[in-house]
Amino acid sequence: MMPDTLPLLRVDQLDISSVDGRLVGPVSFSLLPGRALTLLGESGAGKSLLAQAILGTLPRGLRAAGRIVVGRESSDSGDVRARRQHWGRALALLPQEPSLALDPTMRVGHQLSETHALVGGKPRTEAWQHTLKDLGALGLSHAANAWPSTLSGGMAQRVALAITRAGSAPVLIVDEPTKGLDPHWRDAIVAQLQDAMRQGCAVLTITHDIAVARALGGEVAVMRDGTIVEQASADTLLAQPQHHYTRTLIAADPLNWPRKPAAATGDEVIRATGLAKRFGAQNLFRQLDLSLHAGERVAVTGPSGSGKSTLGNILLGLIQADAGHVNQPGNVARVRYQKLYQDPTAAFAPRRTLGHALDDLCRRHRVDPARIAPLMQRLRLRPVLLTRLPGAVSGGELQRFALLRALLLDPVFLFADEPTSRLDPVTQKEVIDLIVDVTTERGCALMLVTHDRALGNAVAERQLVFGLG
Amino acid sequence: MNRRFFQFDRHGLGLALLLLIALFALAGPWLAGRAPFEQDLYGVLQAPGLHEPLGTDHLGRSMLARLADATRLSLGLALISVLTAAIPGTLLGLLAAWRGGWTARLIGTVADSVLALPGLLLVLLLSAFAPGAFWPLYVGLSLVLWVEYFRVTQATASVVFASGHVEAARLLGFGPGYVLWRHVLPELLPLLATLMSFGASAAVLALAAMGFVGLGAQPPAAELGLMMTELLPYAAEAPWIIASPIVVLTLATLALVLLSDAMQRRHA
Repeated sequence: MMPDTLPLLRVDQLDISSVDGRLVGPVSFSLLPGRALTLLGESGAGKSLLAQAILGTLPRGLRAAGRIVVGRESSDSGDVRARRQHWGRALALLPQEPSLALDPTMRVGHQLSETHALVGGKPRTEAWQHTLKDLGALGLSHAANAWPSTLSGGMAQRVALAITRAGSAPVLIVDEPTKGLDPHWRDAIVAQLQDAMRQGCAVLTITHDIAVARALGGEVAVMRDGTIVEQASADTLLAQPQHHYTRTLIAADPLNWPRKPAAATGDEVIRATGLAKRFGAQNLFRQLDLSLHAGERVAVTGPSGSGKSTLGNILLGLIQADAGHVNQPGNVARVRYQKLYQDPTAAFAPRRTLGHALDDLCRRHRVDPARIAPLMQRLRLRPVLLTRLPGAVSGGELQRFALLRALLLDPVFLFADEPTSRLDPVTQKEVIDLIVDVTTERGCALMLVTHDRALGNAVAERQLVFGLG
Repeated sequence: MNRRFFQFDRHGLGLALLLLIALFALAGPWLAGRAPFEQDLYGVLQAPGLHEPLGTDHLGRSMLARLADATRLSLGLALISVLTAAIPGTLLGLLAAWRGGWTARLIGTVADSVLALPGLLLVLLLSAFAPGAFWPLYVGLSLVLWVEYFRVTQATASVVFASGHVEAARLLGFGPGYVLWRHVLPELLPLLATLMSFGASAAVLALAAMGFVGLGAQPPAAELGLMMTELLPYAAEAPWIIASPIVVLTLATLALVLLSDAMQRRHA
């Protein structure tokens, strides 16, 4: 065997269990220099647990068994101390959510430089030069003295990835690196990972974004319920999926959705003329005209911070426009203009059970509570969920509850503000399908904000594309 | 598991202790069978016995009757000053969070200037106007204590008012009453309960401190702080009589602190 084909990391029959039984595994794979392995799967499939088991950072109460070989050193996966000496130097992790991974009380440049110096073992001045070089290469030279909280999600993620690489560990484990990022920043992160692979790193990526798997190439493994159901090279697997679950996963990618047929439209439900809004020094939009009819669907796409949500909030009367008018027909009640939120848990009173919240709504508007049960069936929500608090149901279920809540008021206009950007693709498809179907059935106009152009194309015949500036 | 049990225990212990003290305050005079100011100069500084369970003081008054009376006074004052501080403080906090702008700034400035004044000093100042009366104590304590309720309420409520779920509730047609009742209060009440039990223990201590320096209750009233001053000269001869107001004061403060601590943990 040639020395350069020796795997950098080999995982052999790894399994993770709690007292209640096995959660993940047994799983075996190896990572070769310059190659990517992407773990695909929906939330709860055990992808992140696998990464934690490899690093030896499993939460208390979980046990790992099997062997892990880092370079030439083999150790038992339960032997946390053996792995700890490799942290940062042989194994590096990019955790989920850069906002949590970066130290909020330390300037960006110092955090990166500290890693160069303490993990990379470089003298201070050299570490600082490396820092400036790294930031310059990422187009973030101006951020060296910035605080992490002033960076956008995408910039923070690039910095976090640079810090992950600063110890020059050959094995990178990246957990959901593109979650919640728009396509521009997603591509930037992928490019950074590809660059790492060109320099001989092996990259283990955990994601539910098929576009990321496609762009990274290498091997793809599909995980479900703790086991790998299919593993093959990216080209083969994405083009000819064998396992039925892989096919579901790929079909859930908005690029592969069938286009929704255009709906019959009715009367005009909202009209905006000459809208303008500034945010600080930035013009979000000027002279914007928009008219929506019953049953019509429009998708609003564009990068984060371009004013997509602001437009919807102006239409709903939650924000004042700087100029222009919004007209709603006088005979339609205001409560028939409704909104779905990006984070459904933030849209429900946290200490009121879902059932009580719906009852309150029925009482407030004298709606027959008997309408709830058939709607729940239509939205495939189990009745037992009514007794739970909003924090105790899944994101997909809660978003469907938010839809149900809006439907009880017979909406004529629904503003869906990135309703699925935090859901995995299978759940996303399910929720979007339901939103589109029930709004079409009821002749309700839908305005869908998304940063995914493919999703926008699949859902709506009309597109409104925002740019920056 | 262990920690939960401990929490429950702490809460239960505080509550049980408080109930016991309240029971003592209510049943004490009836047990003693004498009025708290009734003197018996032939039986001064008696040791606890069957006839006088807690002994008698330097004027031969029943310690049991006096202690129960003093406890009732302390708990009553604590309750009143907590309520008179909590109600306006919370309402002003809600108002400031709801209206924002100059309303919030105005109330905030008043609150800051009250904070700048040491609490005990304010009570002393008011007592100077009406020596021996109780109202300066109530007014002084609630004037000092409302600021905490105002600050906590404003901080919590303005976060909730700005949250997505309140916006959603308004879009769904719910009025301010519902938002207050179902969105704001569930977040606020556990915090207020913690503050209230801390405030109550502060009030009990403040009353005793005023009595001790001779500015609170005046003789022959029975009050924990005043009793300590009166009995101090006899501490060497009859240590048990000065011990009893100290024990009651310690237990009352302990009960309230245990209660607030447990509530704080439960909320966190």
